[in-house]
Amino acid sequence: MTGLLAQATTKGPPINWEALSPFIALVAGGCIVLLVGLARSAFIRRQVVPVLTLLTLGATAGLGVWQWDINEGIVANAMVVDNLTLALTMIFVAGGIAAVFLSWRSIASAEAGEGEYYALMLMSILGMLVLVAANDLVVLFIGFELLSIPLYVLCATHMRREQSLESGLKYLIIGSVGSATLLYGLAMLYGAAGGTNYGDIAAVAAEMADDTLFMVGIGLVLAGLAFKASVAPFHQWTPDVYEGAPTPVTGFMAVATKAAAFGVIIRLFVGPLIDATTTWAPAFATLAVITIIVGNVGALGQSSLKRMLAYSSVAQAGYMIAGVVVTTQLGIAATVFYLAIYVVMNLAAFAVITARERETGLGDDISSLYGLGRDRPFLAWPMTIAMLALAGFPVTAGFFGKIYLINAAVNNGYGWLGVVIVVGSAISLAYYLRVVAAVWMREAPAASTSLSAVPIMAGGSPEGDEAAYAAGREPGADVGRVVSEDFGEPSIITSGPRISQPEVIFVAVFCALVTIAFGVYPEPLMDVARDAGEALQSLR
Amino acid sequence: MLQIQDVIRAYLPAIVFVVLGIGLGAVFASLNSVLGPKPKHARRATAEPYESGLPSEVKKTMRFGISFYLVAMLFILFDIETIFLFPVAMQLKAFGTFALIEISVFIVLLFVAFIYVWRRGALEWK
Repeated sequence: MTGLLAQATTKGPPINWEALSPFIALVAGGCIVLLVGLARSAFIRRQVVPVLTLLTLGATAGLGVWQWDINEGIVANAMVVDNLTLALTMIFVAGGIAAVFLSWRSIASAEAGEGEYYALMLMSILGMLVLVAANDLVVLFIGFELLSIPLYVLCATHMRREQSLESGLKYLIIGSVGSATLLYGLAMLYGAAGGTNYGDIAAVAAEMADDTLFMVGIGLVLAGLAFKASVAPFHQWTPDVYEGAPTPVTGFMAVATKAAAFGVIIRLFVGPLIDATTTWAPAFATLAVITIIVGNVGALGQSSLKRMLAYSSVAQAGYMIAGVVVTTQLGIAATVFYLAIYVVMNLAAFAVITARERETGLGDDISSLYGLGRDRPFLAWPMTIAMLALAGFPVTAGFFGKIYLINAAVNNGYGWLGVVIVVGSAISLAYYLRVVAAVWMREAPAASTSLSAVPIMAGGSPEGDEAAYAAGREPGADVGRVVSEDFGEPSIITSGPRISQPEVIFVAVFCALVTIAFGVYPEPLMDVARDAGEALQSLR
Repeated sequence: MLQIQDVIRAYLPAIVFVVLGIGLGAVFASLNSVLGPKPKHARRATAEPYESGLPSEVKKTMRFGISFYLVAMLFILFDIETIFLFPVAMQLKAFGTFALIEISVFIVLLFVAFIYVWRRGALEWK
């Protein structure tokens, strides 16, 4: 017996180290960042650690480009590195790089400790990679948890702010429910298929499509992943968590987590469960309709920009489901394309929110944008472009994103879903244009009308701290000073002093330019998305 | 066309499960009050969730040092991770070089975590 065992296991599983290299880069980078973050020198912690994080992400992206077109199973077929995995890796890395820039001067990373903050971010990205590369139910779950747990912590990194802690706790509890649901579903799929590898599931999917155990498994997995992708009716956590989390983390969560969730949905449902499409596609299409309606209607009444973007992200998730339910290569390409442009559209908006949050005492309220159009073109234009792109205006990438999705839906008999997308976009104009109006058509409040904001600042409000920290002062240091000053001449007015934060403005402008560039000439990105779609060879 | 009997038959396991669950739970809950010993005077300690004879000396809201929690958690983490070393150590000859490399990677990661914990001062009793 021992001899047999020895013979069977003497050789390890075949590992393609080259294909595994993006993963290894992230692990190594995460460890280095964590250890360098222990340094006593503030310079090393505040400047070197983010640079190391950027280098790690750059290395990951570079290794991903190097491995493009590899398309093979690695580590005994437990993971698949193909163009879909690698295209999504680029999206995660893009989201990560932008998040690093936005976090550079954020109070959240300083409070949590820079090493921990950036290491957690890298680990979360590693989890996303593992999740979308998973070709085995166990690997899928490991990736899912590796993605989620760092995010729970990151949401709570703004430690002296109650909302941030609340956001982290809420996300932890609801995320755990999602994980439990997913795990239960995975167990049922395993029970029905008799194996955890996607190949085992694919082998039985056709004959088991009507099997109760299998169907329950699919349903629970669907619900578990829908939690992560914030698909209605599993979206209730989204606005609260997005609002409470530090804005850079919210931006990262909004784009990268969504891409990861959709990546694994594509990988699992359009992969091994493709032969059971008749079982899950109607459910998914229904969820898409509910999600589009709930997201768009929910966003209408929001005055907090982050809550508004949270509901908008719910609605956008609904659009992207349409690309998944059609189960064609065209649909997958459209979804990947949409995910990619969704990253730049959203990050431009989140960069502007971050910048204004630091400059004004208004947090992420829509009034923080008043008067931007007249004197802050580098913040006003990115916000405008982001909103128009999210609404799907022509000349922005959002237009082509929606065109491709609707095209894919109509081509495969889901014309009605295309109609729902159009109706949803029409509703969404109401709240996206409201932001544009706030940027261009409202006057910046004069100093005299901004008195009400001063006592909030004086109380050492989180936004005040954020502004003070970004301006290079210690958080809370100006509490006494502002109180002692005459209220007739508040030192910080609502329209806000300009704070030197070139990296945030860079992210905003760069993302806006990319949005326009792909709106004028989407072919290069579409080629990448098409490559990703063709990775799933079982499809038409 | 599905017959109503077929539907019921399909759901029979679930119905049996629910009925058994409710029934058994109810039986045990009520048996306890019927068969259990009944003290003449209700004592304070018997109403506590984890009564084990002695009344608790401290209030439920007592605050204890966070260091207890931290050290206990770290102990469990490192303790459990050492468990993974044993099977590999036992079968290292059979598994060969691959397992040695794998377990080295594992130990390196563990060591990184240890350095982090140590340098962050989590092992100092405050």
